[in-house]
Amino acid sequence: MLAHALLGGVIYGCYFALVGLGLNLVFGVMRIVNLAHGDVLMLGAYAAFFLFHLFGLSPFIAAPVVIVGFFLLGLPFYYLVVPRLALAKDAEMLSLILFFGIQQIIEALAAIAFGSSERSIPGRVLGIGPFHLLGETLSRAWVIGGAIAAAAVLALYLYLYHTRSGLLTRAVMASREEALASGIDMHRISARAFAIGLALAGLAGVFAPFMLGSVTPAMGTSVNLAAFAVIIVGSLGNPLGTVAGGLIYGVGLLLMQTYASAWADLLPNLLLIGVLLVRPTGLLGRRVRLA
Amino acid sequence: MSPEPPPLLAVDRLVKRFGGFRALDGVSFSLKAGEVLGLVGPNGSGKTTCINTISGLYPPDGGAVRFAGERLGGLAPHRRARLGINRTFQSPRPFASLTVRQNVALAAAYGRRHGAGGTVSLAALLAMLELDHLADRRAEDLNSAQQKQLDLARALATGPRLLLVDELAAGLNPAELTRMAERLAALARDGMALLVVEHLLSFLDRLTDRVIVMNAGREIFEGTLAAATREPEVVRVFLGSDHAG
Amino acid sequence: MRDFLAVGLPVVVIFALLPLIYANQLLLFNFVLFLILAQGLNAIYGFTGYLPFGYVGFFGAGAYGFALAVMHLAAPPGLALALAGLAAIVLAMILTPLLRLSGAYFAIANLAAAQAVYQVIANPALQEITKGPYGVSLASVFAPRLSYGAALLILAGVFALVAWLRHGRFGLALQAGRDDPVSAAMAGIPVVSARIIAWLISALIAGLAGGVFAWHISVFYPETAFDLSFSIFAIVFTLFGGAATLTGPIAGVLLLYGLYNLIGISVPQYFQLIYGALIVGLVLFLPRGLASLLQRRGIDVP
Ligand SMILES: Nc1ncnc2c1ncn2[C@@H]1O[C@H](COP(=O)(O)OP(=O)(O)OP(=O)(O)O)[C@@H](O)[C@H]1O
Ligand SMILES: [Mg+2]
Repeated sequence: MLAHALLGGVIYGCYFALVGLGLNLVFGVMRIVNLAHGDVLMLGAYAAFFLFHLFGLSPFIAAPVVIVGFFLLGLPFYYLVVPRLALAKDAEMLSLILFFGIQQIIEALAAIAFGSSERSIPGRVLGIGPFHLLGETLSRAWVIGGAIAAAAVLALYLYLYHTRSGLLTRAVMASREEALASGIDMHRISARAFAIGLALAGLAGVFAPFMLGSVTPAMGTSVNLAAFAVIIVGSLGNPLGTVAGGLIYGVGLLLMQTYASAWADLLPNLLLIGVLLVRPTGLLGRRVRLA
Repeated sequence: MSPEPPPLLAVDRLVKRFGGFRALDGVSFSLKAGEVLGLVGPNGSGKTTCINTISGLYPPDGGAVRFAGERLGGLAPHRRARLGINRTFQSPRPFASLTVRQNVALAAAYGRRHGAGGTVSLAALLAMLELDHLADRRAEDLNSAQQKQLDLARALATGPRLLLVDELAAGLNPAELTRMAERLAALARDGMALLVVEHLLSFLDRLTDRVIVMNAGREIFEGTLAAATREPEVVRVFLGSDHAG
Repeated sequence: MRDFLAVGLPVVVIFALLPLIYANQLLLFNFVLFLILAQGLNAIYGFTGYLPFGYVGFFGAGAYGFALAVMHLAAPPGLALALAGLAAIVLAMILTPLLRLSGAYFAIANLAAAQAVYQVIANPALQEITKGPYGVSLASVFAPRLSYGAALLILAGVFALVAWLRHGRFGLALQAGRDDPVSAAMAGIPVVSARIIAWLISALIAGLAGGVFAWHISVFYPETAFDLSFSIFAIVFTLFGGAATLTGPIAGVLLLYGLYNLIGISVPQYFQLIYGALIVGLVLFLPRGLASLLQRRGIDVP
């Protein structure tokens, strides 16, 4: 049982790393808290659902469609909202409230358009039969969701560390002031990071029906809390710290579900509060955020 | 031989680190009531850090600050204010959404030193710092020279015995400079001790002839301003910067 | 005091008289409830700048404090209400370390805390004590007119409190600490303890609101008492009208909650859409609320 929980935890951990990844990238680059992150994920899940039920497209096809689509939507959206926000004195706090408003809009529109009933995609579309790994039998859908998430994390790593645009992105993350002074086109880099953040959330959404259960317009808030727990445990503003956060979260969640299932829902919240109070910089972080 | 009373402020081998970097690297000096000490040095030499540490914003990483003979240790800034230590800020930090009068009244209400009594009335203080006609304006609507005056008014409202002044002269016009120098000199005559950080040496020259020169967190010279300008090391340090005064 | 007499008291009196001419007492009660909650949130957000997304946690703690006092101690409503306030204060004390966090970190941690309290109370494992997810019924103390009156009393108290915060020394000190904690400390203000006091006051207000809510509706579920909408509404109403004023949150509640009841009840999504758009518009174009329209012209908004 322990081995199963640990293995499942690692798989879930990869997935939760993906859930937090985009949120953390956006925060790292823009110092903006995208409270609508969970709702973007929800939209990705609905996209996968409708692509499957209306056109019979499997999530493997939905994934690239969602990634490209969300990326392309993210660019204009950035220019519409963020530059204006950045003018304000207390941009971080205002961003929180602003994206909270955007979250409400998305949630309302989704409820109006899709209704509030629970939607799902049958697990067999990802392949039939259980999956054997290290002597444990696991759900095939889980393994695939986890593997795709790991691939996405790796892709972001390659982008950040092995492309020119990624280098500039990291420069902005390290110090906005210095990046600005050195003549980097801040808005272009930020817009790209923002759009990538949305695309990553969308991708996580495509596999949400298999990893998180059924999909509803109101799922955003709980996804957000999980995502915040993951990135705060990892390290805010450091996208790759998200992986550590995701793994701790995933293993913790599965252990709780195995040994104390009644209290498993408490985990993200307690983890989040605990880490914030003990080490507000995240387990891997160094930036101090005390009042 | 009558025993010398302890100095009002005694800073002893003070160290302040940021990460591995020593912003203050063993600074020592002392200051008596009614005395004015100038603190000069190039940008980043640790002057503001020195004021911040004395006023309690940073806990020191080594050394000690003694005030009226008492070791301050980790005493919180608001308690130091009530003991009679106050300061201005290099870039003014008013309570932006409150009025000028409220800014100063709060400091008088919360920060007044025990035993300071009602030395100066609020109205007199505002008048002295040329803020009386602005009393009901929000602090954020003031220009930066006025905000500096407000910073000083707020510090004085607590009735300090020791005033730490961080680059008050920058941005004042010649007439304002003269009045400001006279004001600070008058405070010292009334017994207040002043530590004055200043790039503008001509301003400092009107207040005191005793200065400390800092570089890279260390004190490299102590003596008169005139002697400092003749000291080769001081000249070398300042020629490296564009603020030779 | 002037603000309270000019603005607060008339609102209380109007809501005391309205039941004589308007029959929907539940709706009137909800207005009073949101007036209380918006001012309670104002006390912490408006005066210290800390935005508690999990404000509903104190409301729920109050509602359950009231319910548990009635169910297990057979407490009379007055005592149960006091215990509701106490429950919220105790929760706030446990959560004081959150005040060490700044900005978004505080808001999110507070939201997580509210969720955690909900998950504990709604947990089937605690059914013996809290009735878990099955909700509580307090028919024995049901008294809609009395509880409406109690809500009005609380409202009057909360108005007086906010009026005092606006002009009293303590409230100004809080605002100074919000504007600049460093220079506030140099002005001798004990910024941290002042914030903690504001935090406890704000929690107490939400706890009392939760208690009187439990009393008034008498049957409710954990997801009703911990409905995130309470936080959301309180935040939106306060921001919309203008934080750190007495009038702002009142205007926010009357206008927006009025609008909500005109269009919202049957299709809440449409209202959610509208207030979502309102928030976005506010942040982008009017971040300090309606009151700032007047304040910008140099008019002091009570
Ligand atoms: N809070 C801080 N965190 C990290 N480094 C700091 C901090 N405050 C100051 N420093 C560093 O300590 C050094 C001394 O800074 P300080 O502000 O004391 O210099 P200064 O002498 O006042 O310079 P200036 O004339 O420019 O005001 C600088 O290198 C600065 O970058
Ligand atoms: Mg300085």
